[in-house]
Amino acid sequence: MCTKVLYELYIHYFEFTLFQPKLTYNTMKRTLIGSALCALLLVGCGQGSSENKEANGSKKITIGVTMLSMQNEFIVKVSDEIEKKAQEMGVELIVVDAERSALKQVEQVESFIAQKVDAIIMNPCEVEASSPAVTKALAAKIPIVNVNSETSAAPTAFVGSDDVESARIAMKYIAEKLGGKGNILMMHGYMGQAAQIKREQGAREILKQFPNLKLLAHQTGEWDRAKAMSLMENWIQSYGPNINAVFAQNDEMGMGAVNALTAAGLKDKVVVVSIDAIPDALQAVKKGTLNATVFQNAQQQGANALETAVKIVKGEKFEKQTLIPFQLVTKENVETLLK
Amino acid sequence: MNTLLTRSKNLGQYGIFGAFLVICLGLAVVNPQFMTVSNWTIIITQVSINALLAFGVTFVIITGGIDLSLGSIVAVTGVVAASLAHPDTYPVVVPIGVGFLSGVAMGALNGLVITKSKVPPFIVTLGMMTIGRGLALILSKGRPISNLSDSFNFIGGGSVVGIPFPILILVVFFVICTLLLKKTVLGRYIYAVGGNEQAAMASGIRVNKVKMAVYTLCGGLAGLAGILLTARITTGQPNAGAGFELDAIAAAIIGGTSTSGGTGTMMGTLIGALLIGVISNGLDLLNVTSYYQQVVMGAIIIGAVVLDSWNQKK
Repeated sequence: MCTKVLYELYIHYFEFTLFQPKLTYNTMKRTLIGSALCALLLVGCGQGSSENKEANGSKKITIGVTMLSMQNEFIVKVSDEIEKKAQEMGVELIVVDAERSALKQVEQVESFIAQKVDAIIMNPCEVEASSPAVTKALAAKIPIVNVNSETSAAPTAFVGSDDVESARIAMKYIAEKLGGKGNILMMHGYMGQAAQIKREQGAREILKQFPNLKLLAHQTGEWDRAKAMSLMENWIQSYGPNINAVFAQNDEMGMGAVNALTAAGLKDKVVVVSIDAIPDALQAVKKGTLNATVFQNAQQQGANALETAVKIVKGEKFEKQTLIPFQLVTKENVETLLK
Repeated sequence: MNTLLTRSKNLGQYGIFGAFLVICLGLAVVNPQFMTVSNWTIIITQVSINALLAFGVTFVIITGGIDLSLGSIVAVTGVVAASLAHPDTYPVVVPIGVGFLSGVAMGALNGLVITKSKVPPFIVTLGMMTIGRGLALILSKGRPISNLSDSFNFIGGGSVVGIPFPILILVVFFVICTLLLKKTVLGRYIYAVGGNEQAAMASGIRVNKVKMAVYTLCGGLAGLAGILLTARITTGQPNAGAGFELDAIAAAIIGGTSTSGGTGTMMGTLIGALLIGVISNGLDLLNVTSYYQQVVMGAIIIGAVVLDSWNQKK
């Protein structure tokens, strides 16, 4: 907690000076106040952690964790599980939020390196732009585990799921439901993001296998429920009764499509499938409005990432790549996920 | 001088109205589905949220200010309303009332800081944008709030005698805002403050009170928009409304509201909002990728302002 505050202060001060064209009296004053605050906190933190060490007798393992965005329900679940597991295993955690900025994430990893943590768990913001974080950690001989998504630079270990596979599962279900023949609409996430590219790739692989499945139109819904709802309303206007199925690349958009189709009285005729298995989507699957979703196991990803990191620190044997399998969720098996 | 001003203002408005008709005609020719009643019902429903925000920000822009916190106010009011709108808890007026009031409060806070501190509205509302986003995340604990009552969801998805409820709300508030701006003393003061703040002050108008009123009004309308959005997507989301302020400002500017203050009408703003809605709907119908949609939208915004400045010079 203390380190988190310190870290935030440091970043704040850093960004502030970065964007100042020149050093004015005010920036100098701010810098001085910032440094003084940091120093004060440092003294406080130092005392705190030394007490910790005395109480435990031996040095605790410290792991720095940087997450893509704490505004994303799925990511929060992964992070919660990492913290739960850390408590079980008696590991000290420093968890920070990169707020979707790869630049910020690299800075966070740099500060982890400066703090000499034993290992780093990173939930990368971007494939390329977050890569320098991996290179820097490895250069400083600190093991780094990527969780949930990948970077182009190879980390010490990777724990996650293959997004391409999730879309294959969803599209296969649609193909099955339609008997291999029909008109499909696809809603993309933010264009160019790793998840969007991979989910599109998986969906298109399956579409190729079924020449009678026709992709009527595809458009971005920006992962957003309201945007997807408007898009679906517009699609209903132009394709109406010709629509047989909708594949949305995440549940938020799937829910938006369901809302629009229900309002237009078409839901019974159109199959809607999406990915992520967020609580709302599970409820909808139970009610039968959403036909299926694909469950990505946040708990297992989080727990496994921490276990892997601890194994590496202790010098035990570990898996270089752990792929947590997906699971198709339909009305038949939804109860197992609704605890 | 006065007639010249009104003439140029009208020209700007006719210009955008003409452009709007041309675009509609073009879309109708290319896609016969465009000019159907059902499609227009959908366009206006989709536009209603942005239009409410745009009405609010039009008041603010006419006084020469700006409000960047609209999207965050939408998120806060949405989350507040959703957390009170679960079935079998409170009657539906409670989430609506409390949600609306939280929007009013945030708007009033904007106005208070702007008038007391003399810090530019751009900076104050930029700060409020971040504060609001944080508040929405705190109140919702970062998670969407769903399971809302049917009577609450009716606001966004229901219809009265075949007309979707959001359209009714849009019409009512269009009339209220137009009357407020055209027929009341406050309306005249709003134009006066934006036209020349010093002169307004010299002629005895209490400028701070007028500013306070417009930001509060803007916050209240954003609160309504937040409730409408939440009811439409049947869930309160802390990350909802991101970027909405820009669409609303775009609608006002396309509709002929000058960013230097003093000019603008609700009719113009309504057409601006409809134009944005029509373009996005039309391009979806034609299956144009969203990349091009963004380029087209940006070009229209710049075009509208260029048109406006030409008319000003005439």
